[in-house]
Amino acid sequence: MMTCTRSLLLVSCVLVLAGCGVDDNGMILVVDHSYVPAVTVTTNDGITTPDGILWWRGKLIMADEGGCALRVWNHGHDVVTLCDRSLGILEPEDLVVDGEGNLFFTDDTAGGLWEVDRNGRAFVVAGRSKGLFSTEGIALAPSGDILVGDGVRHEVFSVTRTGKVSLFLDAKRGITKPESMVYGENGNLYIADNHDDVLYRLTPAKKLERVLEKREGFSPETIWFANHVLYITDSKHGKLSRYTPEDGLETMVAFAGKLHDVCGVTTDDQGQLYVSIQDNESDRGYVVKIGHDAAKDVVPLASQHH
Amino acid sequence: MFGPIIIAGSDRLYELGNQVAGHFWLLDNLIALTLHNNLVKAALLGGCFMAAWFARRHQPEAVRVRGVLIVTLIASGFVVATTRVVSSHMLHPRPFVYSQETYHLDGDSLVESKHLPYRVPLDSASQKKYRQVSGGELAANDLDAFPSDHAALYTTITAGIVLASPVIGRVALAWTILVVLAGRIITGQHSPLDITAGVAIGLSIFTACQAVLGTWLRRIVDALAQWTFRHEALATAIMFVALFEISNTLQDLSSLIDAGSAIARYFQVG
Repeated sequence: MMTCTRSLLLVSCVLVLAGCGVDDNGMILVVDHSYVPAVTVTTNDGITTPDGILWWRGKLIMADEGGCALRVWNHGHDVVTLCDRSLGILEPEDLVVDGEGNLFFTDDTAGGLWEVDRNGRAFVVAGRSKGLFSTEGIALAPSGDILVGDGVRHEVFSVTRTGKVSLFLDAKRGITKPESMVYGENGNLYIADNHDDVLYRLTPAKKLERVLEKREGFSPETIWFANHVLYITDSKHGKLSRYTPEDGLETMVAFAGKLHDVCGVTTDDQGQLYVSIQDNESDRGYVVKIGHDAAKDVVPLASQHH
Repeated sequence: MFGPIIIAGSDRLYELGNQVAGHFWLLDNLIALTLHNNLVKAALLGGCFMAAWFARRHQPEAVRVRGVLIVTLIASGFVVATTRVVSSHMLHPRPFVYSQETYHLDGDSLVESKHLPYRVPLDSASQKKYRQVSGGELAANDLDAFPSDHAALYTTITAGIVLASPVIGRVALAWTILVVLAGRIITGQHSPLDITAGVAIGLSIFTACQAVLGTWLRRIVDALAQWTFRHEALATAIMFVALFEISNTLQDLSSLIDAGSAIARYFQVG
């Protein structure tokens, strides 16, 4: 009996070790075959776990939530830190840049609306004292004001450049957590609520419509509008989807394992998509490019055995 | 060193097994029953277990048989816990997921994953699942296929039945191999490597438990077996509950434990 037990334990160990070779760690399943994914930035490049990301003039600006900092990646250069916790920020969430190059961002833990102006000076525009307790989604209104969603007050505020805060959408409108906001076509503002799992559309006449709701496997984390398409990440279900009124919601890419928690999304000048991914178990972050020409960054199957 | 060879061999065997699927509607639906229907999947094994339990009426042989089966039930708990721990620490999708365009992390790079051809079984559950996966809908249990918990658990139960009653054990063994395990490879639920690893884990824990409980702690096991004769009705009821839960691969037990800890927290915290 003991010899048999030892032999079986040995076989089990060999098989489990062989199984280690099949551990994929993190996986991406591409539904839209015109896209190819490739890792662009990782923790090894000087980021921690990024949330909101924004492509701006050839650079990728990241709200590094895990690293309590705002960082910029420029291809071929080191990652640059714009501001960090010494300013008072705790977990930067989402960001926008205006036409003059001033950067605005939210922080769901420290609260407030923060700015890094075009000269690199970082400061708080409107803080907790003005009622911005847990700021989430951010959008640049056509008027030039900054719209900020608050997850604690369940409201959306409008903030002027001088820091004057006014109510834009009150809690009675029913948005529980305005996690992400972006302007689409015809002046419509899209608002993602990842608490109630609803995508809202606010018309210029301020009529609030529920575009997507009560759908199994749908929880909008970040939304981004480009080329007539609304891109939606879903960190609960590990998905990047696209939405148009004509075609509805379509999954483009599914994420699993260490790559499951997909957060921010943006597009570059060529329309290539970038998503930020947080692996909070290992405290590692990734920015993955999902583009039409990303094949050069991917190790082809044939050369894996060399 | 042997890893890539074992994986390549497993993939080849999977491809051969999966060739059976997608030809005959009736065959695919019968195989699907062995995957999704607990009555078909586990009732026969449960029946074999009960038959072995009551097959011997005269002591001391009857005590030995019941001792073996009691240890088997204890081992099956360890087996399910072990396979769940191993699979939760690994990302290894079911073979049908690899029929899609997938990439995996290798260090900090994304590497194109091997593509496995897949013949979709013609039963409605498999067709629906394939449509979901093709549309990017991945369920959590599509991603932790290594090792197969069904293979591990049913092998453990079968080994116990074989040891208790070789005649009844042959029926259980044939059902486990030809119906439960083969069906999982044919339908692309598991690769032969997932199944073999599950079988090896099941047999290892089974023999280890039999060795420890059947020799060193034999007096306790024998006393328990004797108790089942003195309290036949109660022992049969407990056995029914245990086999009922095993037929569901102990999935109800984990939700029961979750609910129990939530209730305990409720009374502690209020």
